[in-house]
Amino acid sequence: MADTLDLQDMQGLIIRGYGNLRAACYILLEISDPQLAKIWLNAQAGTITAGQARPEEKAFNVAFTYAGIKKLGLEPAILAMFSNEFINGMAVPHRSLLLGDVEESSPAQWIWGGPSTSPIDIVLMLFAVDDRELSDVYNTYAKTFATSGLTEVLKLDTVDLGNKEHFGFHDGISQPVMEGLPQTETAMNTIKAGEFVLGYPNEYGLYTDRPVIKPVMDPKGLLPRDSSGSGNVDLGRNGSYLVFRQLRQDVRGFWQFLDEATKNPDGSSNPSARIKLASQMVGRWPSGAPLLKTPDQDDPQLADANDFAYYQTDPYGFNCPIGAHVRRANPRDSLDPQPGSEQSIAVGKRHRILRRGREYGPPVDAAELLTVKKSSAEDQDRGLHFLCLNANISRQFEFVQHTWVNNPHFDELYDDADPIIGTHYPDGGTFTMQAKPVRKRLNSLPRFVSVVGGAYFFLPGIRAIRYLANH
Amino acid sequence: MTHQVALTIITEIKAGEVEDIKQLLKTMSDNVACNGVIPFGKFSNIHFARLFVLDESIDLNGAVIAPSLVLMSECDAPLGRFLNELVDMAGEGLDKIYSHCVDYPASEITRKRRLAYLRSKIVNTSVFYVNTVGRMAQQIRQESQLRNAIQDFLDHAQQDWSGRSSLEVRAKILAYIRSERTLSWARKPPAQPGLFFKLKETLHMVGMPLLVLVLLPVLIPVLPIWLLLLRIHELSDAAPHFKPDDAHIQDLAALEDHVAQNQFTAVGYVKPGWFRRLTVWGILLAANYGTRHIFNKENLAGVKTIHFARWVVINEQRRVIFASNYDGSLESYMDDFIDKVAWGLNAVFSNGVGFPRTSWLIFGGAKDEQAFKDYLRIHQIPTQVWYSAYDHLIALNIANNAKIRAGLYSKMNKTEAEEWLRLL
Repeated sequence: MADTLDLQDMQGLIIRGYGNLRAACYILLEISDPQLAKIWLNAQAGTITAGQARPEEKAFNVAFTYAGIKKLGLEPAILAMFSNEFINGMAVPHRSLLLGDVEESSPAQWIWGGPSTSPIDIVLMLFAVDDRELSDVYNTYAKTFATSGLTEVLKLDTVDLGNKEHFGFHDGISQPVMEGLPQTETAMNTIKAGEFVLGYPNEYGLYTDRPVIKPVMDPKGLLPRDSSGSGNVDLGRNGSYLVFRQLRQDVRGFWQFLDEATKNPDGSSNPSARIKLASQMVGRWPSGAPLLKTPDQDDPQLADANDFAYYQTDPYGFNCPIGAHVRRANPRDSLDPQPGSEQSIAVGKRHRILRRGREYGPPVDAAELLTVKKSSAEDQDRGLHFLCLNANISRQFEFVQHTWVNNPHFDELYDDADPIIGTHYPDGGTFTMQAKPVRKRLNSLPRFVSVVGGAYFFLPGIRAIRYLANH
Repeated sequence: MTHQVALTIITEIKAGEVEDIKQLLKTMSDNVACNGVIPFGKFSNIHFARLFVLDESIDLNGAVIAPSLVLMSECDAPLGRFLNELVDMAGEGLDKIYSHCVDYPASEITRKRRLAYLRSKIVNTSVFYVNTVGRMAQQIRQESQLRNAIQDFLDHAQQDWSGRSSLEVRAKILAYIRSERTLSWARKPPAQPGLFFKLKETLHMVGMPLLVLVLLPVLIPVLPIWLLLLRIHELSDAAPHFKPDDAHIQDLAALEDHVAQNQFTAVGYVKPGWFRRLTVWGILLAANYGTRHIFNKENLAGVKTIHFARWVVINEQRRVIFASNYDGSLESYMDDFIDKVAWGLNAVFSNGVGFPRTSWLIFGGAKDEQAFKDYLRIHQIPTQVWYSAYDHLIALNIANNAKIRAGLYSKMNKTEAEEWLRLL
């Protein structure tokens, strides 16, 4: 029998995105003095927001890169038990190929997390009800950095756009629900806790690899026991891997490209065709209504609709194109083995992630969206701080990114990487809209989203944080 | 004759010259299609090719196995054509490579002697999986060209096809193809495998079950004993879970994900003792039958991403090489293995040292996700040179292209035309 979720030991971000706390920022830190940093960490451990209750005023979570964990002085044998992806990090050359972080998205150009930027050891994630409160919370922590062996490398702010992202679409609708929590969801969308939290059984009924250590290595008895029954203690339990990517969105470029592609024969803009094409690329209308259910026009009544599968209704992509963003980020029952079957769903359930991202940067003024030509230097930076949680970076985040989202050959396509966030190279990809009598397609798609920073973090359980601070 | 063949040439590397060969392979891999040693891109009937070094190894009894160089290719029959092209187009390149290998003539090297050397080093392939038997390299390239031409026609002939009937659209496409000189080859269907090959395959398909039937009186009493021994071995074989060395993973990963396809090469020891050796022999025989007669069209028991795969038994049955060409990332390849064909992999690989514990040959094993993935990475070796003749096409694209072409020749009703247009 699976053991119950130890919510008091989990950082709250695993359980919720703190949607009620509208303001948030992420502080990237470098450890300059590990001893002082450990004392600081020990003192802060009690203030970390855990998962058992929704915080009403503020929240504080913390995660570490491999470099950070290493600086805190774990033994090499324990360090080696972390996952290979986490150890090597997001910016190694092979991973850049795998993730599509090439050309303008290559780590060499990143503003943080790249080979030529300052090392990142820790990320603090702060949440508050509004910007004023957030700035108070931030100041409380910031003034401790200097005396605690910590240097602030970068403060990443966020912006609250309601439930929309910068392109203007309702985002974050489809989230898997972790088994063992009170929420109930469809079976397809209810995923074993071990897919998101280490130390619990995953969708294979197995425990994902994590640092499990001999009890003698934990003389103070700080760590929870390994619930798989090895008799050891579990440094990974109640922790998760946090994928953090700063995605810059070219909002003007996106809408101006679509405007051009949908112009009337007389050269005038066709706003409804423009929005329809954008919605076909997303797979949902701006309200969030899925094209699967309403292919011809937006229907705000269906804004949060998420209880659907593709195969029965739309096996050929006539409603929602096969290559649309939502259909590839979460294909539900549309892939092999045997689309439409339980097996297809079961395979899909091994490739889910919990998304926790927030937007950053000021929105584009709607009046200037199409009229003012973009000039990347003058235009302000905006996009998404993409955060997601998973237990196995390789099988979950990286698989979704490489095999589904960024794969030009997704579901038997030829040259169709994700039309919204895909890397289209060398000379721009296509976007195919299956239709009767024959498909339509959009050629030479430019890149609308690029990566400007990122890292893999480990978000430990709270007892594990005490261990890191005290061992 | 249009079926594919697997070539494996294994040559022992002279003492102390492994690094020289690796250096040479490195220069080749920088431009694999047009490199100055073996310009793979110029061969007419090649699908894939690879060169890799099997480093020196200590076998289970402590004996040293000398390092060797392996050349593999998947090409269209006859094999002789490929070998001839090899010595004709890469004669001096072969000298550069094989002068580092044992038995290669040191002087007076002629075309004939090169060819004789290569032929003398050919090693038999135990199991050869072909995504679709009989689909030639040229056919794959042509059908891709056909599909691209139709797509361009649809994009440019007119802005909007909506409102037209499926039959009308299809007629326009067919008329375009007929008018296009560069597509004149598409006027007739692709060539079929030769009569002799078909006859041989049919004989094998029928003969093997007959043989089993004849041997049944012997096999029936042996089976329970074999099962018992199997179970005893499974329970007592060591199945340690090691994590692969990080530097090893980096070396392998650096060679992956450059194009739509990837290569996989692994080598491992067969577990000691006659029982495992016999089991491997029997399983490979069964796998050979399965790939030739059951899984010979676009689908290996649910996995549709493998172009070619092979098992080659080497070193007097002490070791086995597994080599494949597949679509997507290694992670997706391994997930496919676990989710779709764990039983098949278990049956073969569980006879190898270090494989996760199986039960009754086909259960367990690869289902231990991370232990299995680590096992594969540990046994995988770098494929220093790898060539694909169509690296932008996944197997499902190739299959779809073939369906597009196959739909050119018959008269279609409305529904059939709709279905055909969905392939585009």
